[in-house]
Amino acid sequence: MTAISVQKLVKEYPRPDGGVLRAVDDISFTVEQGRIFGLLGPNGAGKSTTIKVLTTLLPPTSGTVLINGFDVVTRSLQVRNNLCVVLQENAVEVFLTVRHNFLTFGRFHGLSAAQVEKKMGRVVELFGLQEVLNQKPIDLSGGLKRRVQVAKMFLVDKPVVILDEATTGMDTFNKRATVNAIREEAQTGRTIILTTHMLEEAEELCDSIAIINHGRIVAGGTMDEVKKMGLQMFYLTLKFNEIGKELQELVQKFAPVKLDIVDNQVSVTVREHHTALNILSLAESTGALKHFEITTASLEDVFVELIDRKRAQEGR
Amino acid sequence: MRNVMAVVYRDALIRLTSLTWLFFDMAVPLLYLLMFGVGFNKAVGMGVTMDGAAVAYNDFFLAGVLSMSCFGSAINQSYGFFVDRDNGIFYEFLTYPMTRGELLLGKMLFQCIMALAQTALTLTAAVWLLNVPLNITLLPLTILGVMAGIAGWFFALSIVAFRIRRNDTFNTVINVAYFVLMFVSSMFYPLDAVPLWLKYLSYANPLTWHTDVLRYLTVGIGSGVVILAESAGFLLFLLVSFWFAQQALKKAA
Repeated sequence: MTAISVQKLVKEYPRPDGGVLRAVDDISFTVEQGRIFGLLGPNGAGKSTTIKVLTTLLPPTSGTVLINGFDVVTRSLQVRNNLCVVLQENAVEVFLTVRHNFLTFGRFHGLSAAQVEKKMGRVVELFGLQEVLNQKPIDLSGGLKRRVQVAKMFLVDKPVVILDEATTGMDTFNKRATVNAIREEAQTGRTIILTTHMLEEAEELCDSIAIINHGRIVAGGTMDEVKKMGLQMFYLTLKFNEIGKELQELVQKFAPVKLDIVDNQVSVTVREHHTALNILSLAESTGALKHFEITTASLEDVFVELIDRKRAQEGR
Repeated sequence: MRNVMAVVYRDALIRLTSLTWLFFDMAVPLLYLLMFGVGFNKAVGMGVTMDGAAVAYNDFFLAGVLSMSCFGSAINQSYGFFVDRDNGIFYEFLTYPMTRGELLLGKMLFQCIMALAQTALTLTAAVWLLNVPLNITLLPLTILGVMAGIAGWFFALSIVAFRIRRNDTFNTVINVAYFVLMFVSSMFYPLDAVPLWLKYLSYANPLTWHTDVLRYLTVGIGSGVVILAESAGFLLFLLVSFWFAQQALKKAA
């Protein structure tokens, strides 16, 4: 069953000079129920504008967006009944205690105080908020405020959860807790859309992704599909006993997508498998190769390559 | 109604965290009445003349204090949108499962509940300390009038709060508007005694309509026909403001 359907979405803003800024330009994607979908892209790509349309904060200029079958324009209240959102901006009641933050949030989503109290224990434990439960967020650090904001989402059972840069500002421990919580929620059948700059997080969590740049989707599909989008990039790790100065120059001749040399380790990303094998052969010929590994490229490499490719196309 | 009450619950929790805010909510109209009103009452001696009859200034000014406190409460409540915006929670509210109208109604209802206590204190002080001849039989209508005043001004000022993104600009606009609206109205003086141009301007001011209605309900001053027209005018102002406030809120993100 399709939980989220975005078809030919366009969002334009009027510009001060009288022109029009097209922040989202004809994007389409669908997300099946119980899946985790990642929306990736550089700053200003149009991710947050897309999220604002999905959450009924902004009306689309054209196109159709359905959340659990409800149109965001004509059935906005039903849409909001079906989702809960962590926005990119910090959003907590700074003058209320963390407990009262949970109680008010629950009440807005139709839960009684008793129901919130019942669910609060698990959420507080999951996000490590026991010690600050009776403190006001105005006295808490930015990371803790963000934890309170994200934790609220796990108090309610809305079928669609939208997380806009949810783990920003969290430490590693809480990022891990959030990632685990997101995965658990998806297993219960909730559909999750997340935007993130942390590609490892997307790679770890998402069933499918869309990479967006200048308001357009430059790549989309399952994680494997995106990685294979005609790029066939390969990632080599080569460890040497010692590295001669000439090796870097020799590898550069293969025009790698990325080349890093740290101590005696060379990490190189290339587009063609025969290039990878040629570099391996070159490495072997030095007589100092200790260990090698060839894998398909990471999402980060694909992401950078796709954005660069798009920029190059637009520049031509 | 559940969503409206959720907004009331949230606003009540926040207000209870600030006793200073709570104190000023309750005390400001009382202080106006007891300090400004009593002082002016003494200064003008004979009181003011309305429809050819002399009226004690305290009696005349009571409605002005009530309508002023409605306007002041509405300013405070609409300014709350800037606080919510600064905390980011404003945008999260707009993703909650409630209509824009329910959010506005909840905030208005909370302020009305506060106004009940405020009005009770003010009227009690007026009767016991200043011997104002309050019309007790019309008390329920007076309370309704106070609530309508808060609603009308809150919705109108919310439109300004949603359109203006900067709180310093909002403060400036509201201060200027407050100054003009207060003095171009029947809040401080009867309009029979003012120049004709000021009288006409004052009768185009909803603050005059509201003050006149409250004056009629509290101490029985005013003509029934005029009061009826002013009531209808203020009701229309309230409904139109509510509609525009909802539209402005839809565009506030």
